[in-house]
Parts: sequence; structure tokens; C-alpha cells
Amino acid sequence: MPTIPFEVFRGSPGQTRFDTFSLDIPEHTPILTALLKIRDEIDPTLTLRYSCRQAICGSCAMRINGKSRLACLTPVGPEFRARGKLRIEPMANQPVLRDLVVDQGPFWQRYHSIRPYLVPDPQHPLPVGKESPMTPEQVAQFQETPRCIACASCYSACPAIASDGDFLGPMALAKLFRFVVDPRDGAFHERLLGVQNQSLWLCLRCNLCVESCPKDVRPAERIHDLKWMANQELGALERGSRHAIKFASNIREGGLLNEMKLARETLGLVGMLGQIPKGIELARHGKSIRKHPPIQGREELDAIYRELDRPEDLQHRPRVPGQGVKGPTQQPSKAGGAA
Amino acid sequence: MKVAYYPGCVAQESGKELDMATRAVASRLGLELVDFPTFSCCGSGFVDESNLTLNVAINARNLAIAERAGLSTVMTVCSTCQGMLKLAGQVLATTPTIRSRVDATLRGIGYTYSGSATPKHFLQIIVEDLGGAEALRSKVRRPLRGLKVAAFYGCHLLRPHDRMQFDDPEDPHTFEDVIRALGAEPVDYRGRVMCCGFPIQFVKPATAERIAGAQILDAQQHGADAMATPCPLCHISLDTYQREAGRQVGHQLNMPVFHFPQLVGLALGLDPGTLGLARHLVSTQGALAKLGAVAVPA
Amino acid sequence: MVGAGLAGQRAALEAIRSGLDVGILSKLHPLRSHSGAAQGGINAALGPQDSVKDHVYDTVKGSDYLADQDAVEILCREAGPTVIEMEHFGTIFNRAPDGSLDRRAFGGASYSRTIFAADRTGLALLQALYEEISRETRVRIYEEWDAIRLVSRGGRVHGVVALDRKTGTVEGFAAKSVVVATGPAGRIYARTTNSHASTGDGGALAYRAGAYLKDMEFVQFHPTALPGSGILITEGARGEGGILRNKNGERFMERYAPHVKDLASRDVVSRAIATEVAEGRGFPDGTCHLELMHLGREKVETKLQEIVGFCRNFAGIDPVTEPIPVYPAQHYMMGGIHTNPRGETNLAGLYAAGEAACVSVHGANRLGANSLLETLVYGKIAGANAAEFARKTTAGELTPEDVSTAEKELHALWERREGEPPARLRNDLQSTMEADVGIYRTPEQLEAARRKLGEIRTRYASCYVEDKSTVYNVNLTDAIELGHMLDLAEVIVAGALARTESRGAHVRRDFPRRDDANWMKHTMALWSPQGPVLSYLPVTVTEYAPKERVY
Repeated sequence: MPTIPFEVFRGSPGQTRFDTFSLDIPEHTPILTALLKIRDEIDPTLTLRYSCRQAICGSCAMRINGKSRLACLTPVGPEFRARGKLRIEPMANQPVLRDLVVDQGPFWQRYHSIRPYLVPDPQHPLPVGKESPMTPEQVAQFQETPRCIACASCYSACPAIASDGDFLGPMALAKLFRFVVDPRDGAFHERLLGVQNQSLWLCLRCNLCVESCPKDVRPAERIHDLKWMANQELGALERGSRHAIKFASNIREGGLLNEMKLARETLGLVGMLGQIPKGIELARHGKSIRKHPPIQGREELDAIYRELDRPEDLQHRPRVPGQGVKGPTQQPSKAGGAA
Repeated sequence: MKVAYYPGCVAQESGKELDMATRAVASRLGLELVDFPTFSCCGSGFVDESNLTLNVAINARNLAIAERAGLSTVMTVCSTCQGMLKLAGQVLATTPTIRSRVDATLRGIGYTYSGSATPKHFLQIIVEDLGGAEALRSKVRRPLRGLKVAAFYGCHLLRPHDRMQFDDPEDPHTFEDVIRALGAEPVDYRGRVMCCGFPIQFVKPATAERIAGAQILDAQQHGADAMATPCPLCHISLDTYQREAGRQVGHQLNMPVFHFPQLVGLALGLDPGTLGLARHLVSTQGALAKLGAVAVPA
Repeated sequence: MVGAGLAGQRAALEAIRSGLDVGILSKLHPLRSHSGAAQGGINAALGPQDSVKDHVYDTVKGSDYLADQDAVEILCREAGPTVIEMEHFGTIFNRAPDGSLDRRAFGGASYSRTIFAADRTGLALLQALYEEISRETRVRIYEEWDAIRLVSRGGRVHGVVALDRKTGTVEGFAAKSVVVATGPAGRIYARTTNSHASTGDGGALAYRAGAYLKDMEFVQFHPTALPGSGILITEGARGEGGILRNKNGERFMERYAPHVKDLASRDVVSRAIATEVAEGRGFPDGTCHLELMHLGREKVETKLQEIVGFCRNFAGIDPVTEPIPVYPAQHYMMGGIHTNPRGETNLAGLYAAGEAACVSVHGANRLGANSLLETLVYGKIAGANAAEFARKTTAGELTPEDVSTAEKELHALWERREGEPPARLRNDLQSTMEADVGIYRTPEQLEAARRKLGEIRTRYASCYVEDKSTVYNVNLTDAIELGHMLDLAEVIVAGALARTESRGAHVRRDFPRRDDANWMKHTMALWSPQGPVLSYLPVTVTEYAPKERVY
């Protein structure tokens, strides 16, 4: 292993720089260990959050070559080899305090905003002196979310958080899911109603949270589950859910998407008025949106809908199984990447 | 190589230039495209938000159509189509309860899907089946020399990785390899793996446009002359809504955005008209001028 | 409350619900506390054949009869209600197929009585308790504040002086009563399963304020930690059927504990591994192997999820198909701030709970899955009694001088222009304790340790903090923590030198047997300028007279 130069973000807002520290260390050394070595042996003024060094306290999330990762869980070698450098920056989407330490206030605020505690259900009080009953199906709902260590890697990776302060973010919504599926909780309806505003539907399904989560909580998939539950419980209350529901009925008609009709149904007539200038512009470039002719075998599609678009199928949303446990960090298939 | 060609909805209508370029490039690469007028929409991730089983069944039918014709590859030209077809395969392989519902439904309309036909994006086919970047390089007639191109992958081509099994989900390189093979210079910027904002264009346009704007700006600040994307939905966000995106991020943006096959086609020597470049909202003239390529007919 | 792990939060909850306003100081966000790293489970005699009495007996036997039996009775009696309460707070425990709480076997227990949440029981409990606290309004949590002084006068505690990590400001917190629940101190050792934050701050602050430290020489070494990093492989791995083998493939625990083999208590298993390696039957990397392969992929991946991740990430091995190399590492301090079963210390208004405290329910050796239980049972008791004291007493008299004195000392350290960096002193402290105050102890080693600690103490007087920033200065907090660790290390060595017997985790080569005639007593240490002053307190025995321990 060659000497590895660590390019580390330093300083406070207004006065920032990158310092390069070179270390001779084995490839499998976790990046946290390397940073602590820098602190102990080269520059004691480097500051960062850390504690357990075993991926359970959630303190040491940061950006490593742009990816949001736990430093304790990410070995030096593969990251260095993939990009020929190791650039260490504080998490994104949170104000930097100093060096690798960010202000997590907004992250925690979002967490607290979902009422992260059991709300008693007056209809079904908890049994006195013994545990609450739980079926294996109910227990199975807790497959992923209890693994969350609130490290905020997902929050740092999320492009929706970066662009819209209304979004609750992957962690808070995954936490919400944990309460929504809890049979001991009495606020199922209210909880869904609370996010069936734009927040739930601002998730982009980009799955960056899924890749950055060190505990394989798969937040995007939990958000997807919440969207589905919200549709079932509350119906099409606003644009996001209306779009999802209308999309399904839209393609049933001709097999391909009728873009004009979907826009009308999602946005409403008033919303459509706002689209007129864009429509004219598109038409000028030959991009007019017409209705596709129906596909051949449209009746087959219709048969699928008749068979599967029924309430009993909607009751049943099996999990797409995840890895269970996140293995070693992805090893890029080959060096290079972008220039 | 012969593949079932799954153009998806957008390439058949508002993004027809993608279809034009795909057919022209495939022909140059000796890739035979088989059309199926029976293919339906993939659900675009939205059907999944209301009914997963239905979404899987729709795409199982699409895959079964190709399988029945004896074709093992369904070629997509859209990251989202690729994602949805892959999702169907993954759910069928791992969730027996859905598998049995879907199998029974397909049987009812005369299909079976055994899993032998699988989806692959055009980019993936070039890299994995047509000899990769090197083979492509040998076919280049008009190297895109001097052009700095920012690859923009589109989320669903890459993530989640355990479903897509293609490239690195957060630090991919295949598109850049292709860009190099075409003689152009790839741009290294974080935005290349970010979201374009399209999924919430109808939900909250300002946010969607701000997200698109952030990525275009990122590419611009890293010196890109043009962006290129393997996904027509990303193209809508980056090209069709670029002016609005610029307004959201407070910058006048003027970033030509190529569909992936258009970029390949240019290097293979195809003329801009064949590639439908005039159909973009943001003019590609500037980028083409840099290449000394033929002017785009107005 | 000083400390926001399970004990601190449980104490806070009790005080809040009795109608008081509570402030919690913690150098970490509560969800980042070391309680969250506890893996295996929490004991409660809920099984059909099991009983509180059996739990008491196992705990007393496990403690090598040094535990106070009245305190153990409270612990075990409250275990069931505590686990049920935590379940009602929302803890997501593993369930048996019939929906009841699943239980697993643990070392030193007569029955399967360990309730668990995969192998992240501590995290599950911490989440649920934090959730329960977060519905309360009469609490303010000072996250990332370091307590730097516990102020006492006239035998009573008056408050705390603390440093805000984010701004570098020092402030005083006057309090009617204070509960110290700062958790472990494992970082005194070079190889520990504990987090970097486990520096024994509360114990040292209380000691400096005039509280007794008790039984500090009893340091538990967990048998199964990864070599190098010291990352813990839960006892639950053996509870689920994992087997230890030496390089000859021999299941050596059959020789050390013929009845329960791999599930003997921790001191026994740790000594067995150390002995196997010392006598040449270990693997070349100085380890023994823990095998889980025979349990099958499904069991390992569902019940030991974290372990699978740890092994794959931190050791590069897959426990489903390969053995895990293990060697004992420091894991737990049985000793701590002396309290009675009401959580009271010798200072009026000062309470302690959890690993920072010593009631004592663990005596000379703690049984697995009793520590999570202790944090909750005694956290609640300490919180209730601290609240009761607060209701009856006058406000704590924290003077401006109290704050400025502490601040001045801190600034003297901070503004020093040269000296030795805390990292070097810390490394020397850790390697001294690792080398000379480990599983087996000799008077020569202990004397050497005492001498070296004296030198480090002298060097600490010129410890140099290079970072002058007021924002999140961990160089400064390193130096503060080092002072705390040094205090506790001196007490450990003094107690170990004085105790001329072998009991539980304290094993003297020169006194290999337990000596009930002379040593059925707790070591009590008081701070003095010359070093710890030792005295002794008899052990409370109710039902179980000391017997030989056989597993």
C-alpha cells in the first residue's frame, strides 16, 4: 500500500481549506482509525465526532469521496483505489461547525417532529403486567427500521433535503414507518395524515439513502411503504397520491401513458392553465404531446388489472427483502470513474 | 446481437428523438432491434406507489412477451423503465406470494414468464455485450474531441444496487468510459449520480426544478460543455425545464443535454438531423460548433 | 442528571414523572450513549420454570459472593416489571412464535432468561427510553456538554460545572440533587470493548468531590472480543450455541467448566482463553476461535445480525462460514461510585446508577445481561430517591467562585503554551493498565503499574492542549478525560495491590484462592492529595453463604 494522502476539510464557515495528511497504514484500516491517528500523531486540532467505532453510536458519519458514510465502517483501501484520492468532508445538508463536525439541530428537529414515541390507543390499552401481544406478521414489519442508528448518512445524501426544507428526510420518515406499523401505537391514521401533505411525496425515489445507510434500513423503501399505506388509508388527498393513483388507471386505458390526461388529472384544470406556455414551447420543437394509439393486446392488460387491482391485493404488500446486514463497503468494480 | 426493443412511453412521443437516435445507432453497431407493439408502459415507479403486485405483473407481461419470441434481452433506453423491469424480476425471484399471484394472472391471458428474458439498458449492452468501450472506439468516425461531457446517470439505472447489479451505485464509471471512447472528455462532478427532480415535477415543480438546476449548475461549474443522460425522464428535467431550473437556482443556464444514443451517434458520424437534435429546447448548436460538426437544421 | 444513557435517562424519567424539572447533561447525544452498544440482552426470570430466586442465586454465585444480596434481590425482583415496562415504552424485542418475549441462554444462568432484541438490545432499549423521554416537557437535555466539576461542600452536593462543547463556554448548574450515570471507563485499557467516550468521567468527578469509589479492582474482561480493535462479539453468540475451540480443534471449555462449558461465567471463560493461548494452544495470532458455522446461515443472520456485520466489516471474515478469532478484552467495571440500594452515595444529594455506580449487584464478576437490567432498575431507584431528596431540601448553593475556579483550572490547561500532548499520555496509561493490571495480576506488575501511573500523573501536570478553538475542541476534552481516567486507574491499582486473594475477575498469581475469612468485604476508596485512601465495608449476605463456584 502506498502512502495515502488524506485530503481533509478544515475550518469553520468563512475560513475553510483542505489539509493533506499522509499516512502509511494497512488497506483495511477504517477511515475513523486513520483520522484518529492523524489527530494523535500529526494534528491534534483536527476535530470530529466519534465514539463507539463499531457502527452502533452513529457519531462518525461524514462524506468520503463524496459518499455519505460512517468513517468507522469504511476501510481506507477500496475508497483510495477507486478514486486515487481520499477526500474527507463533513456531512452535507447540515451547517458545518468546524472541520468534520456539523450542527445536527435540523436533523433532530425533523426526527422529533414525527412524534417519535408510542401514542396510546384508547381502544386497545396495553395489557397490565405483561407484554403486548404481537403476531409474527407484525413482528416482521420491524425487520429494518430498528436498526437505524440516527447517523444522518441518509440525510446527508438526500437531494430532496438539499432542495426543500419541507421534506422530513429519509431517517425521520423511516422512523415514522416504525411507529405506523407498531400494533401498540394508536395514531395510525393521524400519523399518515400528518405526512400525506407534500412531505411524504417529496421523496424522489433516488435510493441514495438506501446506498448510504450503514445499517440497511432502506429508508426509500419504507417511504414507499408509507406512500402506499397513505393511499389506502386516506385516498388521493393531494397531488402526489393523486398522481400515483391516476397513473395506474391512466395506462390501463391504452397501455401507454397518456401524458396530457395524467397532467390534467394530477394538476386539475387550473393547474393545467399554468402548463399552456410550456405546451406551446414543446410544440415549437416538435415535442407536442399527443395520445399514443392503444397498444396491441390492451385487453390483456385490462385482464391483469381486473385480476390484481383489487382490495385484497392492496392489503398485501410483501417486503422486497434487503441484505439484512450491510456487508463490507461496495468495492467498485474497477478503478477509474470520472476523470 | 438481437434484442427486444422496449422504447418506453416518452421515446415514443415527446422524446421521439431518443427513439430516432437509438435506431440509427443500433443499426451502426450491428444491433438488431425487434419491435413489439404489445409492450405496455412500465408504470414509471408510480404504479408501484399504489399497487406493487400490479406493477410487477404488468412488467412480467412485458418480459414474457420477449421471452415468448425467444429473445433473452429486453433493451431499455430509459433508467426508469430499466428500474421497473428489474424490480419485477427481483420481486418475482424473492417473493413467492407475489410470484404465485402474478403467474396465475399471466396464465389467464396465455403467458408464462420463466425469467430467461431480462432487461438491459442500451448503455449496459454496449459495455457488456458489444465489446465495451474499446469496441466502440474502433467505430468512431467523428471523435468528440475537445468536448467536455458531464454524464448524468439517472437514479434507477444504478440504484438500489442489489436490484440493478450494474456499475457502482454512487461512483459509477461506465458512462465516462464510453464518453472517453467517443473522444470526448468526461466531467467529474457529484451531480452525476444525483436525482434530476423529475419524480416530483407534478408534486412540487419549484423543488423539482431546483434539484435539476443544482445538477446542471454543478456540471457547468465543473467545466461541462454539455450533459448527456441515458434517461429520457432526466432529459425532460434537464432540457425541457432547464429555463425554470435556472430561475430556481438563480443562474442563466445554457447547457445542451444529449440523450445517450445521440452522443454515441454523433461520434459514429450520424448527422444531427437523424439524431433529432433540433427537438431539444436547449440548443445543441454551441456544442456541435465546438466539434466542427454539421449544423443542426432548424 | 449527568449522563444520558439508560441509567441517566431512566433516573430522569422517574424524577420528571414525580413532578420535578430535570436537566440532563451529556457529552454525547443521548442516542449515541454507550448503552446502545450493549448487544446480548437483559435478564428477567420470565420463563415457566425460572424464578426470581434462581436469578438471585445465579447472580450472587456469578459475583463470587461479593455482591450485596439485598441489592441483588431488588434487582431480580424488579427485572420482570422493568422488562415489561420497557416493552410498553415501545422496545422492539424479539418474539417467540406465540408472540411472547423470546428468551436466550446466557453465561452463568440456570435458565434461558435473557430477553433480547436481535444482538442490539442496548440500542433497542435506548431508543425506546429516549422516545419515552422525548414526550416529556419538563426536561431539558444539554447535549454535548462535558461535566468538569461536581461541587460539594459540607457533605452535600450543590451542583455541576460543565463545558459546552459547541461553544467552549463554561456554566454552573445548581442542583438540589445530582445523579451521576456516566457509564463505563474502559478506555483506561488499551484493548477494550468500550466506546472512545468511555472514560469514567462521573466516577472521577464524584471521587474528587469526596464520594467513595467501591471495588474498583474488579475489572471484567469479556472473553470474546475481536483481536486488535477489541470489538465485542456478544455472549449471545455462545447463548445461541457458539463453541470455543483452540488450535487443536479442542472444545477446551469442557476442561474448565465441565457442566456448562462455553456458557460458564465471563471471568471463567476469559481465564480459560488466556490460559490456552499462554500455554501454546492458541492460534498463531494469539487467539482462540469462536465457531458459529454449525448454527446455520438463517439463525446467525437473524439472531446475530450485528455480529455478522462486525465480523465482515472489522475482521474481514464471514461468521456463517468461518470461525471468529477472539481474545478477551476489558469490558466492564464492576466497581464504581459507592451507593446503597437506594442509589445514595456518602454525599447528601449525590446519587449514582449504572456502570458508573457500584451498589453492588455484580460483586467480583458480572453476569451477562445483568448490566442493562441494573441501569434501568437502579436508574429508576436513584431517580426516585434523588427526586424525593430534591423535594425536601433547599436549593443547591453553587457560588460564582465554584464556576470560576473550575473555569480557571480549565483555562490554565487550555492556555498552556507547551507540554506533552494528551494522546501520548493516554497511550502510556492504556498500555500500562493493559500490560500490568490485566486478567492475571502479580504484586510486581501492580507495583510497576503504580510507579508508572505516578510518572504519568507528574507528566499530566504539564499536559498541553494544542487546539485553542472554542468550537468542538476534542483536544481539550481529551485532556480532561485523561485526568479522569488517571484518577480511576490509580484506585484500581491500589485496590488490586491490597486485595490479597483471587475472587471473580480479580486474580492474583500469588494468592490464587478466594479468602472468605479475610476478604468478604468491599474495597472503599476516598480521594486524598497523596492518592487513594482505602477502607473496607462488609458484604451484605442474606441467603447465600459463600460456596465454591463450579460451572
